[in-house]
Amino acid sequence: MSRGVGVGVLGVLGVVVAACGSGQSILQAGNEPLPTVATTTTVAGPPVTAAPGETLAPTVPPTVATTTTTPLDTLAPCPVDALDDASGPVEITFWHGLGAQLETVLTDLTQQYNRSQDRVRVRLENQGGYNQTIDKYVQSRQESRPELVMFPEYMVQQIADTESVIPVGACVQASGFDTSAFLPRTLLAYQTNGVQWSMPFNVSVPVLYFNRKAFVAAGVDVDDPPLSIEDVRSYSQAIVDSGAAGVGMAFDSGVDSGGGWFIEQWFAKAGELYADNGNGRLAPATRVLYDGAVGVELMTRVQSMITDGIAVTVGDNASGQDALLKLADQQSPAAMTIATSAALGTIISALDGGLIPGLTSADVGVGPMPGPGGTPSALVGGASLYVVADKGDAEAAAAWDYIQFLVGAETQATWAAGTGYVPVRQDALELEPLASTYRDDPRFKVAYDQLTAAADDLAAVGPVIGPLREVRGVTAGAVAAIFDGADVASSLAGAAAQSNALIADYNARN
Amino acid sequence: MAKRTRSRWRDLPTAVWMLTPSLVILSVFVLYPLGQAIWLGHQRCDSQGDNCRSNGWDQYVDVARSDEFLHALGVTVKFVVLTVPIGLALGVGLAMLADKYLRGIGVFRAVFSSTVATSVAVASLMWLFLLQPDVGVLANVGFIEELFPVVKQPGLVRDPGTALGAVAASSIWANLGFTFILVTAGLQGIPRDLHEAAVVDGAGGVRRFWDVTLPLLGPTLLFVMIALTSRAFQAYGEMDLLTDGGPRPQDSTTTLTYLTYGGDSVINNNDGLQAATAVLLFAVLLVVSIVQLGAIGRRIHYA
Amino acid sequence: MPGDGTTTYDTPIGWRAVGRYGLLVLVAALVLFPVYTTVVAALKEGNQVLNNPLVPDGFTLRILAKAWDEGNLGRYLLNSGVVAVVITAAQLLTSVLSAYAFAILDFPGRTIMFGVFLATLLVPLEATLVVNRRTVDSLGWINSYQGLTVPFLATAFGTFLLRQVFLTLPRDLRDAAAIDGVGHLGFLRHVAVPLVRPTLGAMAMLSFLSAWNQYLWPNLVTTESDMYTVQSGLKQISEARLDEPNLVMAGTIIAAIPIVVVLLIFQRSLIRGLTSGAVKG
Repeated sequence: MSRGVGVGVLGVLGVVVAACGSGQSILQAGNEPLPTVATTTTVAGPPVTAAPGETLAPTVPPTVATTTTTPLDTLAPCPVDALDDASGPVEITFWHGLGAQLETVLTDLTQQYNRSQDRVRVRLENQGGYNQTIDKYVQSRQESRPELVMFPEYMVQQIADTESVIPVGACVQASGFDTSAFLPRTLLAYQTNGVQWSMPFNVSVPVLYFNRKAFVAAGVDVDDPPLSIEDVRSYSQAIVDSGAAGVGMAFDSGVDSGGGWFIEQWFAKAGELYADNGNGRLAPATRVLYDGAVGVELMTRVQSMITDGIAVTVGDNASGQDALLKLADQQSPAAMTIATSAALGTIISALDGGLIPGLTSADVGVGPMPGPGGTPSALVGGASLYVVADKGDAEAAAAWDYIQFLVGAETQATWAAGTGYVPVRQDALELEPLASTYRDDPRFKVAYDQLTAAADDLAAVGPVIGPLREVRGVTAGAVAAIFDGADVASSLAGAAAQSNALIADYNARN
Repeated sequence: MAKRTRSRWRDLPTAVWMLTPSLVILSVFVLYPLGQAIWLGHQRCDSQGDNCRSNGWDQYVDVARSDEFLHALGVTVKFVVLTVPIGLALGVGLAMLADKYLRGIGVFRAVFSSTVATSVAVASLMWLFLLQPDVGVLANVGFIEELFPVVKQPGLVRDPGTALGAVAASSIWANLGFTFILVTAGLQGIPRDLHEAAVVDGAGGVRRFWDVTLPLLGPTLLFVMIALTSRAFQAYGEMDLLTDGGPRPQDSTTTLTYLTYGGDSVINNNDGLQAATAVLLFAVLLVVSIVQLGAIGRRIHYA
Repeated sequence: MPGDGTTTYDTPIGWRAVGRYGLLVLVAALVLFPVYTTVVAALKEGNQVLNNPLVPDGFTLRILAKAWDEGNLGRYLLNSGVVAVVITAAQLLTSVLSAYAFAILDFPGRTIMFGVFLATLLVPLEATLVVNRRTVDSLGWINSYQGLTVPFLATAFGTFLLRQVFLTLPRDLRDAAAIDGVGHLGFLRHVAVPLVRPTLGAMAMLSFLSAWNQYLWPNLVTTESDMYTVQSGLKQISEARLDEPNLVMAGTIIAAIPIVVVLLIFQRSLIRGLTSGAVKG
């Protein structure tokens, strides 16, 4: 018997050790080798092509029933009136991934909602972060899922594919909820094929943070921060030449910042599609497009700033604020960086608390995210709210009732002022406390203005890709290598090939 | 012979009810899932783990040969090689140090054993607070930061060159109490007169250690080594809390367990591939166990 | 923790003793360093954490209290306690029964069955997690004590350990008892179990420790704060509250204290437990 085991073990050992690496990704395991250029034949139905400038249907104001590809009536209906028939208070569970100050404000708002009426009781369950929320959700059977769940912006396609949610578009339609005050782009970000999958709630965008003192010392205009990549270069050069700071710009290669999300932002700003099939919004994306001439040129420009010593990379941004901390570096601080607008409140309170000697909150300047095209605009980041299907009519209605509260003008005014998120609707700006926040400190309004600045076409709304989370990981690896001096074209091509393999694998599985 | 057979059958009902509780649990939660995992390993499923379809048994071979698997295997082996010998040496050192009759030695022994009380979460969070580059202790002690800028920029858990070492340090520390207790017990089992004989023969402290103590500690050390090795192969919490398998893109701390279960793993929520790596991890552990059991030889008295 | 007064082959006096004490103190300080910095942080006010992290600055229990209140730690400790006690008790029971069956009883298929038991020892938790999570989910046991405990109610290791001791029982003893009309259950309760009591204590300690320290599994089968164990709760706190490191450290200390107390009380059993698996040369 022991000999049999031994032989078996040796066999396995042989597979593991003697295999001598295939040089293939694990994602290809068991698959036939992929064709070098992904073809559109893997997608069911004819490929949908869209020119970058083509307008996304439906256009502003977004409604949901204007498309033929995925008719809303084939999706789960939203029983918005079911709450009227419920005998007692309906209890629903809401999974979210917000920590620290964000969680505090959300808890306060939810308590306020629970107290304000006796039909719905919302129970918050913090899952410890976005990714934990995703993992627990997809691993669970529908019965073990909550009634309402918050997912980050990169999850649209994957959640749509689970067929486990009631598109909020159905609820909007069924209840006649008025979305005319919404910033169109916040809604469009969570649409594919005209289906509004989720409700935007906590919206953030990348902005430029800069040290005003360094700008003054370098003799560049503090009230006119750089908008294009060329501007970033010239400002950085001036800053380094004058000795105002060690380096001009600090980049990072984090998955949800400089390595992934910002690249998507830059393609949107350039008016270029990041993925095929209309950024995956007309039909599921089959490949990424960032390895083309636009991407190579863009990344070459960024890389040259780093190799010329006027910009620096801070690595994979594991803390989420590495690039910001580079601005406070003692040895060789940077004068500018790009980071999420959601960090502004934390930055101001940290600096007011004296965290960084010699730097006050008044020294922090905020400008639109610089990028190709040189105009202010940005993709919607943050997270949105999904109503889970098959949890009962009253529960779905309760979730929708709570959503309407969360995206109401007054709630959004409190939410945005308390957290630094961008409100999803214009009328929140007229309400306190947000009105005075924006009036007293215009830095908070920069993020908001970016969202209203550009046209809402397919390129500008950004990509939806099934495995976008993993694609960002792969992309970030290439960005890190480029920042460290690797060849731009081959790095991007390698990452694109791997991303396309991820997408093909995902599309084949789902 | 007939009588014997009858008695064997007579005990059967008792044996059945006595074995049933264990058998049910072990079947449902060890044997069945193992079989299922082996089956799942040749399949691909959607991101919810449903609609699984066969992808051919060559999926196992391809997984074993893939870049990610081999990289993770390499990281795992490095982690084992870093933690086991150092952990063992430190444990022996501490045990030797405390193996003296001195007033108050009990206090020191308690201190040296103390990390046995820390769970992986507690130990890893303590070390995270030591090593974290922004709010961590080392990064905010002026002279350390000046001597070793890496603690702040990018930080020991963030530098591709030091991350695995940092995680290993945390792991070694957490296992130190366990090693210390076992080695101390082993030392106390060494007859005192052997040492005295060696002293009479004129053997110095160092020679006594190499010629008397170490050989007699052999079985204990072998056991500790096996235990530490198996722990190291299965370590997960340290990577999850300290590095998330990073830094990226090098994936310096993506071990086999992290590749299989880590939230930032490239096969996260890809049940077929997760099962394949889990089964391959099992195979690797099996090989390691068999090699180790071979090393012990007849020292364990089965039955 | 191992007891005092054993190997006493030289009696250091004077400088040698001073030197050894010095070394002991130095090494003890190094071992305790991570604990020390944790305690220092937990006793500081939040805004002081980054200043001189090595030096205690003031003494406030406010952060510990806050961690207790906000972190739901009382609930996590309760859950961990319930889970660890249930698993320990059940493992003792199931192991005693199966060990008795394998050691004392003679029945067809015994060898094969024992082989199956031993084989489960080789299967690492990692190989079974994905499927076990599905099983527990389909039983509706997510966020329940059943989900946290049932997969671990039996252990081949305990069976193996206790069987070794039962095998030392003289065959005549059982035969004599049988002649006196004592059934297996009576013999088990009155003769066999008292014999293995020290081993049971050691095993209990090991089972309790490993159940308390479980990390991956509780994270997989809980989604509600009220069902987190200390370990999964700590992970959650550390991820949600990175902005207040001293709060996380306070939580860490609170999570560690109960197990330190348990170990201090049962240290003899613990040491016996840890060494029980060791090879007898």
